[in-house]
Amino acid sequence: MVERKIKTIYDVVCPFCGTLCDDLEVDIDIKEDSVIEVRNGCQIGTKKFFSSNPSGHRYLKPRIKTNGEHKEVSWDEAIDAAADILVKAKRPLLYGFSSTECEAQSKGVELAEILGAILDNTASVCHGPSLLAIQDVGAPLSTLGEYKNRADLVIFWGSNPVHAHPRHLGRYSEFVRGYFRKDGRNDRFIIVVDPRNTHTAQIADLFIQVKPNEDYELINAIRAVLRGVELDVKEVSGVSIEKIRELVDMLKLCNFGVIFFGMGLTQTLAHHRNIDAAICLTRELNDHTKFLLEPMRGHYNVTGANQVFTWNTGYAYSIDFSRGYPRYNPGEFSSVDLLIKDEVDSSLIVASDPASNFPAAAVKNLFKHPLISIDPHETPTSAFADVVLPAAFAGIECEGTAYRMDSVPLRLRKVKNAPGECISDKEILEKLIIKVKEKLGE
Amino acid sequence: MAEIKLKLKKKPELPLEADIITPDNLVGKTIAEIKKLAIYHGKEVVKLGDFFDISGKSTDINDTKIIIEGDLSNVKRIGEKMSGGEIVVNGNVGMHVGNQMNGGKITVNGNADDWAGAMLQGGELEINGDAGHYVGAAYRGFWQGMKNGTIKVKGKVGNETLAWVNGSKPGNRFPKLICGSAGAFLGIHSHGGIIIVEGDSDRCAGADQVRGTIVIKGKISRLLPSFKKIGEVNEIELPNGEKITGKYIEYSGDHSVAKNHSKIDKKTGEISNSSNGRLYIAA
Repeated sequence: MVERKIKTIYDVVCPFCGTLCDDLEVDIDIKEDSVIEVRNGCQIGTKKFFSSNPSGHRYLKPRIKTNGEHKEVSWDEAIDAAADILVKAKRPLLYGFSSTECEAQSKGVELAEILGAILDNTASVCHGPSLLAIQDVGAPLSTLGEYKNRADLVIFWGSNPVHAHPRHLGRYSEFVRGYFRKDGRNDRFIIVVDPRNTHTAQIADLFIQVKPNEDYELINAIRAVLRGVELDVKEVSGVSIEKIRELVDMLKLCNFGVIFFGMGLTQTLAHHRNIDAAICLTRELNDHTKFLLEPMRGHYNVTGANQVFTWNTGYAYSIDFSRGYPRYNPGEFSSVDLLIKDEVDSSLIVASDPASNFPAAAVKNLFKHPLISIDPHETPTSAFADVVLPAAFAGIECEGTAYRMDSVPLRLRKVKNAPGECISDKEILEKLIIKVKEKLGE
Repeated sequence: MAEIKLKLKKKPELPLEADIITPDNLVGKTIAEIKKLAIYHGKEVVKLGDFFDISGKSTDINDTKIIIEGDLSNVKRIGEKMSGGEIVVNGNVGMHVGNQMNGGKITVNGNADDWAGAMLQGGELEINGDAGHYVGAAYRGFWQGMKNGTIKVKGKVGNETLAWVNGSKPGNRFPKLICGSAGAFLGIHSHGGIIIVEGDSDRCAGADQVRGTIVIKGKISRLLPSFKKIGEVNEIELPNGEKITGKYIEYSGDHSVAKNHSKIDKKTGEISNSSNGRLYIAA
């Protein structure tokens, strides 16, 4: 039997989803520098740790595309080629940033400012509408600990945490015992509003099946009933008025309620207006009881990307530096709209895979122009990139800061070394900044 | 009337930001001076003369007419913050045409992109074609959008037209929109705008409106549940005194807005959940 030297690292923060669980235990084979066991994590988070192990998918050296083939080159050559693309571009796009640490994100802002580029993060295809609504009507938010200790009515609207944030229910919202909710699940009433009977809906106390894309009307009706208005209609979005009245009574009678909302609200028709209405509902419910809401952020550090971009530029995403100062307008400077209109002439993608998620028309234009990808492993985006810069996994192979979905910063830990010549996103962007400055003659 | 003529030489590859093209900026300048004015092509600063052939002259702002020819669908911010004079665009125009203008007139003989006449403070914007989303709307995070002036769109307008429009009867400000047909969330968060739709409207017109009048001469695809039918009328009197005749069904709303404060009726002692917003749909 081969003797293995195992090191266990405790209290590791999981760099997968916005829940950012901070109680993982990871066993590392010191000799091979690989992950052999992850405890406490959910299936998805555990898989991410294993995917950092050396495999055919991981890039070990920088690559440049010549004659349609990727060729391994040295770091100097690759950085030079990447800087060349960015300096020559009239309207470069810097996109991604949500799956890397805050230190790298701030370097991204610096690079965008030097280049006069467009800076965007994945919020523009995810919870960007939530941010728009918050800018319009404010937001009554709190940290997750408050919900865990106090909430006795929990609504999941257009979100399915059983699949997307598997440990959210166990750590903060459903099964966990809180200070004032000593009996855990029995002390909480769970409501799920969704067009589909999801697995979250199946473990809820009340499931309200709303017609697809008609959430706005339902929230609107709830607000009117809450105000004491007799409505002319018998049914709204597939829900009867009697059921809406029952629901409103429940909302008013609870001690502490919370709405967790997901992409079911932000990315269906009406987008930010759904959130606008949900925020207004939450605000109006505070006339009767305590009510808060919380966006269920997807990527583990998309909240961090919004925070870092905001404290550096004043805006959370969709930022244009082309006139030397930051300007903000989703729809005009957001990546998907820019790419569909073919308004960018080169792109740098950091820790993201737009080729898998963006509309086909946008991806087509993305591939038409020079493309640089900073990614630890092969993705549809990096496979078509002109320059691939291999990165270390943030939170597994390098340290950093990440923000949980409720904007609480947590320190990511390094559990193993990066394979090959991989370096952290922050170091790659630092190298790029130096090279770009050199080429611009600064 | 003194005229300045601009002709686009070639369609720019990247969006051209030409917020310099307003009577305020061009008046009293020689052609050579106008040609040297800076505009933005991507992150490059270029000269107006690089992209436009320019001729004509002017001395007084209110007597200035700027005529622009060519496909300007990639040219943004024409007429930004203009305060007088006239601009005529013969062709399609890009985003933000006439945004925040407070006087004068812009005529677009073609289609306009998003944010046409955003946060208009006064003046007149006429689009003889279709317009994009957010016509006359407030920019992100602003609580007061279009405050005065008129927007006329012959074709259809997109979603969230006239969001956060802010009119005032005591202040004698009546922001007004007349359009052919409208997208979803027409006049959302309206605080006293006048909107007349000659044709149909998509879902949720008048959502969250506190005050304001919306007249739809066609059909609405989905009426919000928080609007309540009052009855049928034969004549509508708009806040600015104008009248529209014809058979309409009058609705009050939006009743979901908490700002429509509930009042106790002095005679009956009952709480009335009234609303100052009105929506008229053709009977």
